Amino acid sequence: MPTVTFLPGFQKVEVPKGDSILSAARKAGLPVNVVCGGIGKCGKCVMFLKSGRTEFDNQRYEEFFTAEELHNGACLACRTYVIDDCQVFVPEQTLIQSQQILIDTLGHTVDLNPSVWKYHLQLKPPTLDNPISDLDRLLDGVHDAGGPVDKRIYAPLELLRRIPSVTRESGWNVTATIALVPGGYRLIHIEKGDTRKKMYGAAVDLGTTTIVVFLRDLTTGQVLGVTSNYNRQISCGEDILSRVNYGKLGGFPKLQALAAESINAAIQTAANAAGVDIDDIYEVVIAGNTIMTHILMGIDPSYMIHEPYVPVVRRALSTSASRIGLSVRPNGGIFIFPAVSDFIGGDIIADILASGMTGSSDISLMIDIGTNYEVVLGNNDWIFACAGAAGPALEGGEVLFGMRANPGAIEKVSIDPATLEPTFSTINNSNPLGICGSGLIDILAELLKACVIDRNGRINTAIPHPRIRPGPYYPEYVLVWKEKAGINKDIVITENDIKNLIMSKASTLAACTVLMNVAGITRTDIKTIYFAGGFGNYINKDHATTIGLIPEVSIDQIKNLGNGAAEGANMALLDRKKRKLLNEIAEKIGYIELNATPSFMDEYTRSAFLPHTDLSLFPTVERALQQCRIRVVNP
Amino acid sequence: MALKPLEIYKLLPKKNCKECGEQTCLSFAMKLAQGKADPASCPYLDSEAKAALSSQTGAPIAKITIGMGSRMITIGEETVFYRHDKTFYHEPAIIYRVVDTAPAEEITALAARIREEKITRIGIDLQVNGLAVDLGSGSLKQSVTAVTTANEGGDIPLVLQSEDPEILKACLAVCGNYNPLICAATEHNYRELCDLAKKYDAPLVVRAPDVEKIGALSKECMGLGIKKIVLDITGADSGEYLSRATLVRSLALTRTAPELGFPILLDCSGSVPDNIVTGIVKFASVLITPQLPVAEMTTALVLRQNIYTDPQKPIQMTPGLYRIGDPGPDSPVFMTVNFSLTFFTLQGYLEAARVPCFLLIVETEGMSVLTSVAAGKLNESVVAEWITKTSLADEVNEKKLIIPGYASPLSGRIEDATGWKVVVGPRDAADIGRFLTEEWK
Amino acid sequence: MNYILPHTWSGSIQTVTIGATKQEGGTRSVSYEIGGDTDLPFMNRSGKKPLLAYEICDDTAIWPQVVRDAMPKGISDPASWAAYGEKTLKPDCIRLNLTSTRKPNSSDFASISATVQSVLAATTLPLIIEGSADPAVDSEVYIRCGEAGQGERLVLGTAEADRYRSVAAAAMAYDHIIIAQTPIDVNLAKQLNILLRETGIPDNRIIIDPYTGALGYGFEYTYSTMERIRFAALKGDDDLAMPMISAPADSLTVKEIRESDSPSEIAVSWERATAVASAIAGAAILVVRHPGTVLPLRTAIDALWEGSRREVSDGA
Repeated sequence: MPTVTFLPGFQKVEVPKGDSILSAARKAGLPVNVVCGGIGKCGKCVMFLKSGRTEFDNQRYEEFFTAEELHNGACLACRTYVIDDCQVFVPEQTLIQSQQILIDTLGHTVDLNPSVWKYHLQLKPPTLDNPISDLDRLLDGVHDAGGPVDKRIYAPLELLRRIPSVTRESGWNVTATIALVPGGYRLIHIEKGDTRKKMYGAAVDLGTTTIVVFLRDLTTGQVLGVTSNYNRQISCGEDILSRVNYGKLGGFPKLQALAAESINAAIQTAANAAGVDIDDIYEVVIAGNTIMTHILMGIDPSYMIHEPYVPVVRRALSTSASRIGLSVRPNGGIFIFPAVSDFIGGDIIADILASGMTGSSDISLMIDIGTNYEVVLGNNDWIFACAGAAGPALEGGEVLFGMRANPGAIEKVSIDPATLEPTFSTINNSNPLGICGSGLIDILAELLKACVIDRNGRINTAIPHPRIRPGPYYPEYVLVWKEKAGINKDIVITENDIKNLIMSKASTLAACTVLMNVAGITRTDIKTIYFAGGFGNYINKDHATTIGLIPEVSIDQIKNLGNGAAEGANMALLDRKKRKLLNEIAEKIGYIELNATPSFMDEYTRSAFLPHTDLSLFPTVERALQQCRIRVVNP
Repeated sequence: MALKPLEIYKLLPKKNCKECGEQTCLSFAMKLAQGKADPASCPYLDSEAKAALSSQTGAPIAKITIGMGSRMITIGEETVFYRHDKTFYHEPAIIYRVVDTAPAEEITALAARIREEKITRIGIDLQVNGLAVDLGSGSLKQSVTAVTTANEGGDIPLVLQSEDPEILKACLAVCGNYNPLICAATEHNYRELCDLAKKYDAPLVVRAPDVEKIGALSKECMGLGIKKIVLDITGADSGEYLSRATLVRSLALTRTAPELGFPILLDCSGSVPDNIVTGIVKFASVLITPQLPVAEMTTALVLRQNIYTDPQKPIQMTPGLYRIGDPGPDSPVFMTVNFSLTFFTLQGYLEAARVPCFLLIVETEGMSVLTSVAAGKLNESVVAEWITKTSLADEVNEKKLIIPGYASPLSGRIEDATGWKVVVGPRDAADIGRFLTEEWK
Repeated sequence: MNYILPHTWSGSIQTVTIGATKQEGGTRSVSYEIGGDTDLPFMNRSGKKPLLAYEICDDTAIWPQVVRDAMPKGISDPASWAAYGEKTLKPDCIRLNLTSTRKPNSSDFASISATVQSVLAATTLPLIIEGSADPAVDSEVYIRCGEAGQGERLVLGTAEADRYRSVAAAAMAYDHIIIAQTPIDVNLAKQLNILLRETGIPDNRIIIDPYTGALGYGFEYTYSTMERIRFAALKGDDDLAMPMISAPADSLTVKEIRESDSPSEIAVSWERATAVASAIAGAAILVVRHPGTVLPLRTAIDALWEGSRREVSDGA
């Protein structure tokens, strides 16, 4: 088999002849940035062939390269096929880099009420006068130490086997670990001596792309470490649908194993850094989308992606670590967040928990934006939720120079309305390579305020300015000239990019409006808007309102929830009482199927305008645009 | 105005007892708001809440049937002023009129025409609905003979047009058990006609010179126990009819005048084609007209089908492979959704372009391209499924598929899932001609 | 008991004046004020009677076959066609469709000026012009039309969401009315009006064309869109308060006509029915192409509105 060597790191892999460089890279563990899923459409997986033979149709994909790049052996890894041994150079921007994955959270204070307890017991050895069994002796001790009565504690066989030796070898000085499980308690560990201080738990946000793990000391609540990893299932498909399709061809066991492996790796990293033995992790709480948690539990989710979109389970699930391949304490408890529908999963329930929106009569709107969006509206009395497809534009997909939030991504932009000259900043202050979601929102808002685009997103090509030009396919605005760019091209935003962005934002805003209409409320009834997920942390909230991504409220009413999924998982890890609340939240949610809502398309069309067809819904934006117009017309 | 889910929810007991069959009170409220649940299934509603919810249910315009059997006409039950607010439910019945002095063969031929003539569009048969016999001869015998002839077969719904109780009585003796529409009660004859209507349990038209008097008469008939009423509000011309129809429909919908909560009849004899158009778009449920030439009949039936299409459930095409002209193995293949309007528009422009081609229609539940892309109903698996189902690959030499411009985000995924080369076509079907001449080969 | 309509309206339809007489700086024999209605289109004979426009073109290659077959003999150019229309069919206005600009790479802009001038000379009625459909030639075409009709208060079409600047500029420069066309959607209609206003076109220079789908092939969408526009306007939405134009030309090319043995009969019936339904939904100008449609449509409209079309001035 040919060997592919990746430069500059010299990772070597053997692949069958005819395999793509992309699959070789994945095999080598390189996190290649593939927005289109590896079908030659996004032009992000650029690599350079340095030696050896491959097959690549460079004419077909020439739009992605300059002549100079082609001369230097540029190719798209997904469409380049290995013939012989070869060496391939991987530019930095081709890799998904230390992406801005959210690990900071709102920092709720929760009561420390974990669902595991450790009891240090100095038991009296058995005598002829006191011949009760070892187990009863142990459990009596637990009860005497303040634990539950012995009848309610189940002791699994593996532990029964340990009891005689551990008790006697320690001189009856042991620590018993008891966990609260559905229907009672369970003895999950017995150790020699006093190990009460060694009781840890992990809270996991199981995402389609990323896994975030918080390691916490369950005796103090302290965070001992946070790690994030890519979900290793990515090798079986970029998005959820392709993974389910992979699963349907017999791949679910592999997907399950990869999910467990990804969580294990993240836990291991955090534990190593904190000097914690993973065997002392007694509980793992996992919030993830419905498909991900089904797969992790080994439940076939494939029926859920077809009508009538019914999940196998909605309620919260508990099991023990060994049954799903998590390498913590084998009898350690696993708690999986409940779900509502195929789209509203445990991650969203965790967001809701973390936001605290169900704790008061004030109405909150929570939005989680990615390629798909989930929107939740409600208070302590009622909750409505819906989900839909926003398209990848807001994450930089389907945008000519769009990219993820990696170093070199233009993340903040302002445009002088008089000179139309932009000022921008990039992540890590690297040379600009492309534009990420927050930058795109800025550009849209600034071009609108500068009257370069109309409210339909059309570029006014009648403006005589070097940055505004007809472009090869669509009119475009030049954000960065080639000389200043970290790539050998002008970085532009085209009218088509703008159209895609407007379609994405329109879908999100329409979903918000549909929920508000169902509830019969208006924007002034909303007390707080929460952004869940990474998105909200980086975007300019003013600009998000200006383009009409969200209903207009005052800026101080918009809050970032951060990684609500991880936050919610942490809360449920530390305070078992929150778990009861989760099922209540999940049951309370009224799920609105947007496809079955006739007004959705109407709201979508109304929202496919900047910021919205009805400006009276955006009074502040209306005033701002008027002022801009005056300034632009009479500079 | 219908209540919103949350307004209904506030009236519910919030016990989440599941006894109504729903998981929660909130989901029950959502079903109620969509009219998909009955307030009575909640055992814990207090009487006040029940009253509030029940006033929302039940159509404000009565449901009436005319005739029996497979051609029975159902009218009424309308709930909105504008079709876009929900939908118009029951198409107006188009009734051909014949005079009782006409020869029997003519009456029989007209009944046969009503029975057999149809045009088929989008898989639906469109037909004229019934026969009105104008009993104006003044001869009891002639009237009875005409009605007997018209009622041969008993399948064609009849309207008996006379204000003479004696003639109606005699004719009803012939056809009364076939649920004919008695047309019409006036202030002079309504007592006798109400008796007849009750005897045969047949629907009754009320007629008076203006809407106030029609309302008063309708009230009188209701007082006599008549429940199946049709209001004849035909005016001097289509303009007067329109004003009257608007008034009657508005008052019926607001439930302010229960005596107007009945279907409307328009006699189109004055200026036939324009009255029919006016009646179809604005609220008529029974349209009486002399028999129409084929062109005018087609217009009326098609307009009626258009206006009574549920705006929220677009007409769907059957997915599959369609041929424009006589395409061969080198002809282009277009793909689009099964929304009928999209199909017809595209078909029109493709025919106009005079390039024979294949048109692959995939199942998107009748959604347009833009909507089905946004909703994920148009996706690579659907396209792959229909390429396979139609054995499209056997039809053409080159696997090349032209997809709608608005589906361009799917192009890569379709290529991957199908192995076909995808060409993104224009967004607007009007550009198809130019696309075929300039960009295709 | 006295029945009273349970609704009242707060808005009214914007008035737009089309055509210009000598006193108004043009050469038309008449000008019309459309719009101004304060109730549903037909209610109690209120509001103005819709105008009937007879549509001609400068290149019949893409004109519906059924209309070409019905054309009287001896008409060789748009001017004689317009004169025939005015004299024989007595419409309220003429619409000239510059179909010659639809040919690929059309660039004979000088002849456009000449055509417009000749038609203006041949008819005394206000003129509606349907210009090009290609952004590449829009600017040239609309400038020629605007220039040739300066002072005549033409109705210039068509502005669309992705190509409105050229026609807007010509309408502004030469003082004409503009037709704003959107594909059968109330929200898109509103958006285009907003875009036009933001380029400086005053509301009383805009006529909404919600696009008239063919009867049997989507006309119901048009019908509802027009009802929604009218309803919104009466409820006080200024962005949708402009009068509407409806041109049921698509109803002339449907399969039922193409495949019929007596196409003309069906064509007239379909075109007229579509126009009447559009009028009931709120259209202020009805544009028809088949010469056989004009007179029966006039009768139908007269039966709906006893009239109150106000002629601003008589140019005689």
